[in-house]
Amino acid sequence: MPFIEELIKYKSCSIVGLAKNTGKTVSLNYVLDRLPLDKMRIAVSSIGIDGETTDQVTRTAKPEITLREGTYFATSEKHYLQRKLVSELVEVSDENTSLGRIVTAKALTRGKILLSGPSSNLGLRRWKKSIEKYDIDLILIDGALSRMSLASPATSESMILSTGAAYSANINTLVQKTAFVVDLINLDLTSEDNILRFKDINNGVWAVDDDDEIHDLKVTSSLATNIDTEGIGHCKTLYLSGALTDTFLEHIRGKRIFKGMEIVVTDFTKVFLTPMLYKRFVNGGGKISVMMKSKLIAVTVNPTAPNGMVLDSEKLCKTMSEAIKLPVYDLKKCD
Amino acid sequence: MRLKELIEQPCGLKFMLDNLDVHSGYSRRVLLDTEMPKDILSIENNYKILKEFYDVVKEQKNQSQINSLQFKLCNLKEIQGTINHLKNKYVLDDIELFEVKHLAMLSLDIQQIMNKLQLNDMIFIPNLEEVVSILDPDGMKIASFYIYDSYSGKLSELRRKMKVKEDFDEALFNEASGIEDEIRAKISMQLSKYADELEAAQKSLAFIDLNLAKAYQTIKYDLCFPNIADDGVTEYEGMFHPEVKEALELRGCTFQPVDIAFWNKPTLITGANMGGKTVVLKTLTLCQYLFQYGFGIPAKRARIVIKDKIYFCIGDEQSIEKGLSSFAAEMKKIDTVIKASRGSGNILALIDEPARTTNPKEGTALVSALVKVLEVENVSLVMTTHYDIEPTDSRRLKVKGFENGVMNYELVEVKDGEVPHEALNIAESLGIDREWIAEAREIVNDRIRHN
Repeated sequence: MPFIEELIKYKSCSIVGLAKNTGKTVSLNYVLDRLPLDKMRIAVSSIGIDGETTDQVTRTAKPEITLREGTYFATSEKHYLQRKLVSELVEVSDENTSLGRIVTAKALTRGKILLSGPSSNLGLRRWKKSIEKYDIDLILIDGALSRMSLASPATSESMILSTGAAYSANINTLVQKTAFVVDLINLDLTSEDNILRFKDINNGVWAVDDDDEIHDLKVTSSLATNIDTEGIGHCKTLYLSGALTDTFLEHIRGKRIFKGMEIVVTDFTKVFLTPMLYKRFVNGGGKISVMMKSKLIAVTVNPTAPNGMVLDSEKLCKTMSEAIKLPVYDLKKCD
Repeated sequence: MRLKELIEQPCGLKFMLDNLDVHSGYSRRVLLDTEMPKDILSIENNYKILKEFYDVVKEQKNQSQINSLQFKLCNLKEIQGTINHLKNKYVLDDIELFEVKHLAMLSLDIQQIMNKLQLNDMIFIPNLEEVVSILDPDGMKIASFYIYDSYSGKLSELRRKMKVKEDFDEALFNEASGIEDEIRAKISMQLSKYADELEAAQKSLAFIDLNLAKAYQTIKYDLCFPNIADDGVTEYEGMFHPEVKEALELRGCTFQPVDIAFWNKPTLITGANMGGKTVVLKTLTLCQYLFQYGFGIPAKRARIVIKDKIYFCIGDEQSIEKGLSSFAAEMKKIDTVIKASRGSGNILALIDEPARTTNPKEGTALVSALVKVLEVENVSLVMTTHYDIEPTDSRRLKVKGFENGVMNYELVEVKDGEVPHEALNIAESLGIDREWIAEAREIVNDRIRHN
């Protein structure tokens, strides 16, 4: 069984789709169906509304999430009352969503459920804390579309990435675009020294010069372009507490004091660069590293797009796997 | 007036409430929704309960029990909506049943701790064992809930069938859901008898939370338990303002406590600028509210008269939204005090430098007249002023003022109505421009000579 063995080494995993209909829910169901529940306790939640029976955006049929006996899950009051399984309610939180409070329950029979867990990073962290007492071995988080920040290593140790024809209908483009995201997820961790140095800094942009002296560049936003570099000879490391954007990179590129430097960001979700600019920076001797990293366990593909377009599954998996040097699965074909 | 309508008054009440360590948001809401108690029985009873809590909290040996009590109280949540559903005999859903079970179990747990702490006589908690047994048919004593198999043989049979099926069986599920609905209807009916008990239990738990928090606050700020005065004389010894005191201590200064007494005869406080007159008024207001709501009082000793209405008028209240100037806003506010004084009920009026923003001639007249108007049986007036007002038979207190370059905030009774002229000395001590002060002194001396 692909990647399940790898997955159970971690305490938490986010399942993230690069676009709608890339097979995220299929991936989640695949995992939920195969995890060895006799040996471990699983809890599952989603970021915001998920598991709708029809896709809210494209109105296409969407599989529900199937839980097995013993699985803990978080959902909203509304969806809890619509569940199609027998479950024991263990917790009602104060966390309010448009669908009511978030409740946590344990499935007592196999059945289907609409997941709609806490929708913010803080809410997710609070929920994780509230279920600590049930000795959960693995928490699965169904990430939502374009909410990559909630798959950040701050909330989950590992990741499964879903991509497919819905993201791009051309195999080469799809592979390139996916490979770029994989590159970002796999950005190296920065040095121990840097982690210690930056871990308590919550705002601004900071530079470390060749004498290991740290300077506040007094940048309030990474969209701002007035950078105060007075008194810095050469900057060897730049720490960004916020986002790394094209504008910012464009601005510092080519300045002598930033030559060959390492840019440190908190995690890959903070990198908002176009592939071209990223490559140019890296090829020019620059380096981007992260403070926190989650392990990318697998990439899954859905060769079918909602408009009916179907890609050659075998070719897609092969090309993708070669490009990203990781196993790639079409889960509909697995087992 | 409910507490939440009083909290914005600039007397320091908000500080006390912000520093009240309650464990459930619901308890805080209960407190803020409380009407100000005005009868001797409830105030007396509140202090009796608080004293018991205070004694228990002070005992080192009770710490672990109190910790678990606090831990339990963190789980107190308001379920009034669900209780109302029960009262109206609605069928509850699983989440509501869970809430009822949660509250009932919590209340039993807390009841046990209260017994151990021997506080059980103080606050009555209805016994909800029956409720727990309805919602915990297997006696598991776990605060989770679902429609248990043991509610119905048929249901457990259906679920057994569902479990052996490989796939989700819609028909079985629907049949089981039908039975679940019947069970929900049945237990909701049984529970509806306990709606009042659940409501009372919820309130009692909040009350425990509040008393615990008040007891800790009493210790933390070194507050005292007041006596209820029935002779019309309110008297404080070593009174202080906790917020001002804390701010001063942060800067390495100390707060000088004051002694003060007042009754239904107007009391005027005069004294130098920066003499702490406004702080005295603020503290008196704060103490009166804390007293009526049964908190510890920031003083060494206190005996306090119960009031029906408290008016705190502080000078620079600009009502910009209403388009009133500071003078107009102040006049309006004092007007409500005068109107109230003509009705029934015991009034405490605390007025800070009235009419100070207008010309001294008319100001003096307004203030003198105000003292006369408010010199009635049912009003205790404490007022600060800089004006030399007509001598009436009101009491005069004055801040001792500068002594050897140090401010003495003590209040002393003065016989004559002479308002102290210390503004120039104080300005001088602040290092204000010498020429200006000298010029002013010249003018003052001139006037005295002319008179």
